Amino acid sequence: MVRLLTHNLLACHAKNCNANNFPLQFKDVQLEIREADFNPDFLKGFMPKIDWKALVDTARQLGDTSLPLEQPEMVDDEFLKNLHHVLLEIHVEEGSMTCPNCGHVYPISNGIPNMLLAEHEIG
Amino acid sequence: MPSRFLIHYAQAHHEFRLPELQSVAELHDISYKLPDDPKDRDPTRPFMVVELESEEHARILARRCILIKAVYEFYAKGSTYEEVHRNNRQSEHLWKRYVEDTSFRFLVTSSQHKIPQSRQREVIESFSYMDFRGKIDMKTPDILLMCFEEYDEKPGTTRERHEGDGDFREVFFGRLIEEGTARQLVRTFDVKKRVYYGNTSMESEISLLMANQTLASPGKFIYDPFMGTGSMAYPTGHFGALVFGSDIDGRQMRGKQKVPGVLRAAQQYGIASRIVDLATFDITINPWRCGDLFDAIVTDPPYGVRAGAKRLGRKRELSERQKELCLMHSKSPRPDDQPYIPPTKPYELSHLATDLVLFSRYLLKPGGRLVFFLPTTDEYQEVDIYSMLCEGMEVIANSLQDFGSWGRRVRSDYSQAPLQVLIIRIQLVTIKKTTSKQFPPPTFEPIQPSPDESAHVPAHRDFREKYFQGFKPKSNETSVAEEATTS
Repeated sequence: MVRLLTHNLLACHAKNCNANNFPLQFKDVQLEIREADFNPDFLKGFMPKIDWKALVDTARQLGDTSLPLEQPEMVDDEFLKNLHHVLLEIHVEEGSMTCPNCGHVYPISNGIPNMLLAEHEIG
Repeated sequence: MPSRFLIHYAQAHHEFRLPELQSVAELHDISYKLPDDPKDRDPTRPFMVVELESEEHARILARRCILIKAVYEFYAKGSTYEEVHRNNRQSEHLWKRYVEDTSFRFLVTSSQHKIPQSRQREVIESFSYMDFRGKIDMKTPDILLMCFEEYDEKPGTTRERHEGDGDFREVFFGRLIEEGTARQLVRTFDVKKRVYYGNTSMESEISLLMANQTLASPGKFIYDPFMGTGSMAYPTGHFGALVFGSDIDGRQMRGKQKVPGVLRAAQQYGIASRIVDLATFDITINPWRCGDLFDAIVTDPPYGVRAGAKRLGRKRELSERQKELCLMHSKSPRPDDQPYIPPTKPYELSHLATDLVLFSRYLLKPGGRLVFFLPTTDEYQEVDIYSMLCEGMEVIANSLQDFGSWGRRVRSDYSQAPLQVLIIRIQLVTIKKTTSKQFPPPTFEPIQPSPDESAHVPAHRDFREKYFQGFKPKSNETSVAEEATTS
């Protein structure tokens, strides 16, 4: 859990943290690889939603270099397989995500990130 | 050319029958035509004759609709057997091909009634003009012919054996095409057999019906913002969708073991890889980076009888001094501190419902669906549901069901005191995003009470308070009850 698909969709939402609040930085992570159903249609439909740079940078940080730096115009099967692996099969089980702007730390335990904010961080 | 099919429905959740048919047909691109006469599409009756393009479409419905027991090729119906036989002779082109050499079984059965054996035989013999020459095979016949007598339901009465035999409302006759296989899922997903559930977990049949309303299928991305113990996620995942769950209280999703409870239950159903992620956050202060993400949002919001909805914040504001102390403490926690849990305040139901629609409009893809449950009382009015809508979101189905009533007596001498009841109704609402316009994320600001006193107050407003305090006397006992409450 905390797959890179999820990581690509979550931004820091603390009060007044509106710029440079994405992507959150993984720290002290424990990874697990788990197989998932390959569905090319889902991937193609999801691609326009991806912040590509954030995805590639994060994947590289976690040791996966299979994705190209630029999102390709044409997608082939091999690319989709790599994208599938990066988005859906890498799980961050423990560790934390830190906001690059305000420094808020979102802890991850047993694969579930705690995205709740403290009292002084909400509007 | 479309042909007619006879659908045998389970006698449960009548209100969901047509919405489910519509959803499953839309999902599989099936066109259908309901009977013209309202009496023939009355959802409380066990049979409905529907026009479909092909037998294959009938099979698809039988495999996906939770409420379908079986589908038949329709041959005839009638309020008397003369009429049935007359119509059946006109359908000869449909059954002629089985006459020569097809093994068959002939079943005469009924609803709410047991037909005596002798008359069953009579009925079978009355069909002898069909002249089927194949072998009669009770175990593995090539075809099953079924003649079904529909008797009126008489709830609350016990019938004598065979009482009113032959006094049926209508007779239906057809050939079995496929037994409904989706109905078995009600047992598969039975909460009692689930390895992880909570005290507010949704009953499996309803959660399956809701999953059908979402049009869940492989490749779809579906979100439950009040995940709880995941009741809505399992059927949607079973139908192939990827599911994301969030909840303000992570303990519901986690349970007490290392592997989160929701994942353990998902493993039991073989769909763990389809639970994309679980995250703890408050939807009113949420981390979603962008909208237009999900094909459907399906949820059973906490409505507050056993577990009330919560949002971040405090019921009573702290003084400046207290706030300062809290902040100081959070910056330098003591080493033995438990993990910080932020304070929460109640989230009133009608407010939550309005917010949920706005939130869904932001997060759903165009054409996406929001499917959720809303409790209300017998004061429900049609306008309640429309008062929560916003531009670009339209109700496509609203199935209202009496959920029973909770009654109580207020004085110690129970038998004498007037019975006060609160009638609870549950509505399953399906709303569709009908726009491709982009909307900003909702602000989740408290709705200011309207200065206009005539403004409509929906019956689900303050449901929790109504539940605990609002037991009202039955109207004819009003004066007694007033006396009871004042004494």
